[in-house]
Amino acid sequence: MSETILEIDDLSTQFFTSEGKVNAVHGFDLELERGEVFGIVGESGSGKSVTALSLMDLVESPGRITSGSVGYRNPSFAENMRTSYPDAVDGDLVDLRAIPEDARRSLRGTAFSMIFQDPESSFNPSLTVGEQIAEAVEVQQRATAMPRSGRAKTRGPEYSLGSYLMSMALPSKRYVTESSRARAIELLETVGIPDPAQRADEYPHEYSGGMLQRAMIAQALASEPDVLIADEPTTALDVTIQAQILDLLNELQAETGMTILLITHNLGVVARMCDRVGVMYAGEIVERGTLEDVFDDTVHPYTKGLLGSVPDLEGTADRLQAISGNVPSLLDHEMGDRCYFADRCPKAMDTCLEKPRSFDVDADGRHSVTCYLAEENYDPDRALEEGRFASEGAVSDVGGDSQ
Amino acid sequence: MISDRMTSNLKQTFKESFLPKIGLVLLLAIILMAIFAPLLATHDPTRTGHYADTGSPYPPMGHSYETQIAQDGDIVDIEVHPTSEHILGTNNVGQDVFSRFVYGARVSLLVALLGTALALVIGVPVGLVAGYYGGRIDDTLMRSADIMLAFPGLVLAMALVGVFGSTPIQVPDPIVMAGFAEGMPESIPIPGSVTVVAGLVIWVWFARVARGEALSLRNQEYVKASKSFGMPNRRILTKHILPNSLTPIIVLATIQVAAVILLEASLAYLGFSGTTLSWGYEIERGQDLLRTRPWISMFPGVGIMLTVIAVNLLGDWFRDALDPNIEGDERGV
Repeated sequence: MSETILEIDDLSTQFFTSEGKVNAVHGFDLELERGEVFGIVGESGSGKSVTALSLMDLVESPGRITSGSVGYRNPSFAENMRTSYPDAVDGDLVDLRAIPEDARRSLRGTAFSMIFQDPESSFNPSLTVGEQIAEAVEVQQRATAMPRSGRAKTRGPEYSLGSYLMSMALPSKRYVTESSRARAIELLETVGIPDPAQRADEYPHEYSGGMLQRAMIAQALASEPDVLIADEPTTALDVTIQAQILDLLNELQAETGMTILLITHNLGVVARMCDRVGVMYAGEIVERGTLEDVFDDTVHPYTKGLLGSVPDLEGTADRLQAISGNVPSLLDHEMGDRCYFADRCPKAMDTCLEKPRSFDVDADGRHSVTCYLAEENYDPDRALEEGRFASEGAVSDVGGDSQ
Repeated sequence: MISDRMTSNLKQTFKESFLPKIGLVLLLAIILMAIFAPLLATHDPTRTGHYADTGSPYPPMGHSYETQIAQDGDIVDIEVHPTSEHILGTNNVGQDVFSRFVYGARVSLLVALLGTALALVIGVPVGLVAGYYGGRIDDTLMRSADIMLAFPGLVLAMALVGVFGSTPIQVPDPIVMAGFAEGMPESIPIPGSVTVVAGLVIWVWFARVARGEALSLRNQEYVKASKSFGMPNRRILTKHILPNSLTPIIVLATIQVAAVILLEASLAYLGFSGTTLSWGYEIERGQDLLRTRPWISMFPGVGIMLTVIAVNLLGDWFRDALDPNIEGDERGV
């Protein structure tokens, strides 16, 4: 087991709506190892995207991260933080929730970067693609020119208002330097855009969806992040392009050794890309383990349901086994204290009325499941009667899958 | 902020369509007229109808203007119809309407353009910052803007003029001083406080429009994406938010230029402007005589109309050229 780069513990993000608190993500635990590809799968409304935004600290009002810690392992960053915030630093690990917002945000780009779902809307239509990527390069170059500790305390002179106005008035004081531009073209080449020098001067509407997704990957890579969060990177693309983008991500990952957190609802994508996978349901990971553990040695009925709902090309064409029902209400006061999947679970038993803890399936502790079935076998005599939860009327889709 | 693409688009749209050319020619003509007013004016615009024998600018007691004109040959200049001497006639105190039209352009344009510019400079940053950051910053900025909105514009303007005083700044006229124009006023009255007041009264509208734009733009995916790779907020504001909110702001600015001309006119009418040499003042002056001597207020009115049309045509040109959503054939029709 290599060292962890990210240790997320008990992360909760709530949305404060007029109907009440919505637990989009709650009690989320995850340890990411350096250089691995970790997949998060789950249906719409299970809190995948909010998890990604929470890690980037991009959750917007009315949402707020209410508890938990996000440990980020980086010796030099830890060194810089140690003097100012000794409480937040533990060895090489810095708890990002315990340091001020400014310091946390300075890690955006340099430590974490993100690829978004819809490439078309993730570029400003009125600026050239090259310009927007050069912008990301510029951020990285300024960050390296200025050590993180300095950035954390005060914004450097480069960001002062005076130099800012100068940069708008004088061409020689341009914010984005020529070298950043050259690097942007290089990046476009890396992600496989043909004729990058010329394409850099084109506008997003002149790109195809797949090309834009490549350009967005270039933008995310510009700052050489340690962790790349890919939020449904292929959902908006057609199938042939999907494969290309995934291959590209694989190549880049092998080249740079970065860690990828891949968020998707597509099990095929997970099978193709990931080393480990976590299945997310109602704001928490219910089953996690290596690809083999989760796909071949499935324990949680929800994971089984997900796997059963994928069409099998070779098998006999039975009807797909859809999971009945909907994602449960994530409203705080409606969630109660039970297994959230119990009302849809074909194997719900009386014990499921109490919230299960995380059980280890194997001795090595790498495959864990939040379900009593890990410890005991299904007993039909103890099954919950049909419609046990129907009266609660709690089935409404209020998940914050996308904002 | 102004990219190569913007300038090339501006050029292209300008070439392709006819209306921006009209707008530009009109506005340039009006601006040139304002600058070279002493050379164009045929009479001293401030000199009232004179009485050769009394030296008084007013008709003798007990006589109306018309009887004076009919009975007394000395009273030559009062309310005459357009003639070769006074090509646009004279007003009710015997001043040359054409000369006042030419000079009035100075005050009206100066106040309108500078006032709007001031409002832009105050309102747009306030609105963008309020809309982009939201929360307490938004509340603080926009509630203070609402305080401004709570007063009717004219009342607020009068109150502010009361604070700043209304004395115009007298600036020596370089053309007259250089000796190119004989018999013209030696100094130009610049109603500085009215300009500032106009800016202070209308910045709120720019703030509100800019805030609305920022509010919708900050939720764009590309803003989120920019944040995700560490782009500083200030940079996002100038790179993404400001350029994309320019279109409605430009359109609003063209409307506000006209509004400021009228605001200045109202202030001049009420005696708050500090100068009587503006288009607005002339319109108000001729308002009672509209039926019998329409030329007094008609020509300054035409001046305001042409300025507003010119500015609007230019505004349309900017909009067509800068809005990425308007493509190809729709442009400059």
